[in-house]
Amino acid sequence: MLQIKKGYTLRAAGVPSLNLERREIPKKVALVPHHIPFVKPRLAVQEKDAVRTGTLLFTDKHRPELKFRSPGTGIVEAVRFGPRHVLEAVVIRLDEKERHESFAPVSDAALETMGKADLKSRIQDGGLWALFRELPFRNIPAGTTDPPGIIVSMGTGEPFEPHPSVYLNDAAALFRFGMRVLQKLSEHVAVVLPSEYAVPSILEEAVTHGVSGNYPCGDAGVFLYRTRTDPNQNRTWTLHGQDLLLLSRFLQEGRYPTQKIVVTAGPEAQDPCHVMVRLGAPLRHIARTSGNGRAHRFVVGGVFTGYPASGEDYLGFHENAVVVLPEDPTPEKWALFKPGYQKPTYSRAFLSRLNTRRLPVDTRYHGEERACIGCGYCTDVCPVDILPQFTYKAAVIGEMEEALAHGILDCVECGLCSYVCPSKIDLVQALKSARADLYREDVRR
Amino acid sequence: MNENGSFLKRFRKAFDPEGPLARLGPMYEALESVFLARPRFTRNAPLVRDSLDVKRYMMLVILALIPHYGFGVYNVGRQALSAAGRAPDFFPALFIGLSAVIPIIVVVFGVGFAWEVLFAAIRRHPISEGVLVTCTLFPLTLPPTIPLWQAALGISFGVVIGKEIFGGTGRNFLNPALTGRAFLYFAYPAQISGDGVWTLITDGRTVPVDAFSGATPLSVAGGMDRLQDIHGILLDSGYTLSRLLFGLYPGSIGGTATFLAILGAAFLVLLGIASYRIILGCILGLVITAGTLNLLAGPESMPYLSLNPLYHLFMGGSMFAFAYMATDPVSSCHMQGARWIFGFGIGALTVLIRVFNPAFPEGVGLAVLFMNLFAPLLDEIEIKARLKRRVPNV
Repeated sequence: MLQIKKGYTLRAAGVPSLNLERREIPKKVALVPHHIPFVKPRLAVQEKDAVRTGTLLFTDKHRPELKFRSPGTGIVEAVRFGPRHVLEAVVIRLDEKERHESFAPVSDAALETMGKADLKSRIQDGGLWALFRELPFRNIPAGTTDPPGIIVSMGTGEPFEPHPSVYLNDAAALFRFGMRVLQKLSEHVAVVLPSEYAVPSILEEAVTHGVSGNYPCGDAGVFLYRTRTDPNQNRTWTLHGQDLLLLSRFLQEGRYPTQKIVVTAGPEAQDPCHVMVRLGAPLRHIARTSGNGRAHRFVVGGVFTGYPASGEDYLGFHENAVVVLPEDPTPEKWALFKPGYQKPTYSRAFLSRLNTRRLPVDTRYHGEERACIGCGYCTDVCPVDILPQFTYKAAVIGEMEEALAHGILDCVECGLCSYVCPSKIDLVQALKSARADLYREDVRR
Repeated sequence: MNENGSFLKRFRKAFDPEGPLARLGPMYEALESVFLARPRFTRNAPLVRDSLDVKRYMMLVILALIPHYGFGVYNVGRQALSAAGRAPDFFPALFIGLSAVIPIIVVVFGVGFAWEVLFAAIRRHPISEGVLVTCTLFPLTLPPTIPLWQAALGISFGVVIGKEIFGGTGRNFLNPALTGRAFLYFAYPAQISGDGVWTLITDGRTVPVDAFSGATPLSVAGGMDRLQDIHGILLDSGYTLSRLLFGLYPGSIGGTATFLAILGAAFLVLLGIASYRIILGCILGLVITAGTLNLLAGPESMPYLSLNPLYHLFMGGSMFAFAYMATDPVSSCHMQGARWIFGFGIGALTVLIRVFNPAFPEGVGLAVLFMNLFAPLLDEIEIKARLKRRVPNV
């Protein structure tokens, strides 16, 4: 068992129960390219086009083999662009009857004899290649490269994410099939499971590495940082355990998969639980708010790594959680002097350190921005031993050589440095944008 | 509370961007935010933020310093009564102490805050809480007899030269309170050193009664002839270890209360505000250096060499500076290992300056400032060593 001592587990209220609910089919679904990293979409459809489940919606401008397919059957109702003509969403109004684009299914026996290149091109053609991410930038790997290893992350330890015991339930055969697919692509496949989670007992032998500790102990980047012995391993690939199921379902059935299990969670979510949803479903369809009329905000992805959205937005391609957080605009009186038995904190400056219950979290900054005072909390919490307070300064002033020496590429963008900062500095944003610059430079080279 | 809300609302308009006092907006914001936390919402990951902010961080330091003010007020009055030959009763002592300390506090906070507001208004940045900690620490290091204009000058130097010219709290490399204190020491030695300044003379007298000696333990220990028994002489002056621990002797306003400093250090370490590494490093450095001097001391050498390390720790403001000055996160080391060395250096230098430099009876302030200068270097050494251990990823 690999122990991750650093990191931080936020004991937030509103964690999802292990119950699995099903939602009826929504009226619309969408593919949201906006948050797929480093992808420049070239549209293959227009508004009013009829599409089937699995019809090509767009490809990447620079890499035509990188395809994205429709999560539903119907009419393209809207192609939404954001500022500077960035494609935000392709919205599809669903038909009653579902029709699938058909792909050649891969049987167990066929997989045995299938060549690596053939397998890759099937995944790429099926529009699921983007489920793979390449460390350290978490970009979508080039189809021609061979990974030094693949890490299947079953969860990171975030407070709001699907539990493997739920999404792997009755999926043992799919998971094993997926593992065989991965083993075709790389000799080194690690399945990393945080100790707080369980997998169905018949899959226990599939887990190669247990990790224990705080969030983000189950993250592939953290695991790689702690286990790698050689710089060649830096470009290891990763994918989420549930995405592996999507991949196997596609290969086995020859149909673009349409469903996955996400969590609806957070203090303002009604009945936080696991939900089986349509890919690209509207957020308000997935998460029910508690309906007390209080101001709230939807977050897609976890609270540490996700992005804010309104209820009318749609579930992203990689995201597994819809969190509803309170966003109360009334000023808090005497906040400075409260002992804070209910205020979650990484520090020890509030009485909540003695409170073992789960505490309400919200979207407030809880303070104003200040210059770095050198408290060192970010260094204490960083799971990959970066010195965020020094690294972000190097990144902000453009000292890239220094930032690289500090290990900016090991950063897993877990967001904990920004979370703990009492000066409310957006450390992780500075690191992220520096990393994105480095990636673009890397691609051009 | 509602009273406050409407009270503030009425004045709020004047500080709006179009209001007549728009330039003083930061001051209004700072005052309001003491009572009222206006929410600001996250717009990107992470969408949740810790409840701790710099305001509370600094407020907890101020909270830890409040007992020192209580003690300081009482002790100033008590010493003044002794010097006047009167019984050290509680309430007269309190009255004398308050009348001496409150003007200093008012001047220091008024001047220090005015500088901060001025810089905030000109540079259009929010007022940082750091100035309040500086203003709280600074009076505690002063003698009660300090002329008010010197107190004003000292805090001005500390805030402006020690901090603001580098960009304000977080960008300074010296502890601002100690910078101001050191400035006064070098600019006006007559009012801030010697035996005469540490006790308030009241009742219309010009000199204390004969029975009273204003000598501080540091000046007793420093001004000793060879071949004398230092512990005996200190004892003759009334300085037992327990008196040094409880700090009821002439000295700076709040700095002599070693026991309060120990409690304050424990409080701040418990709350994760002060680094225990720095504090323990200081104590280790002081004890080891003083212990080494003990070993080196022969019968012919200076008696100060053979002073028990515990006396070094308990007398003067050493523990006070270790607890509140050395642990200033901005000007101390930022790396955990370097913090031990940083602390050790402060402790060692404190003893060395006290023993070998008779011009500076209290060495701890200079020791902290000196190590502040070395903090970035120590950090750099540790960072370099740490980066070598990483598997490269470029």
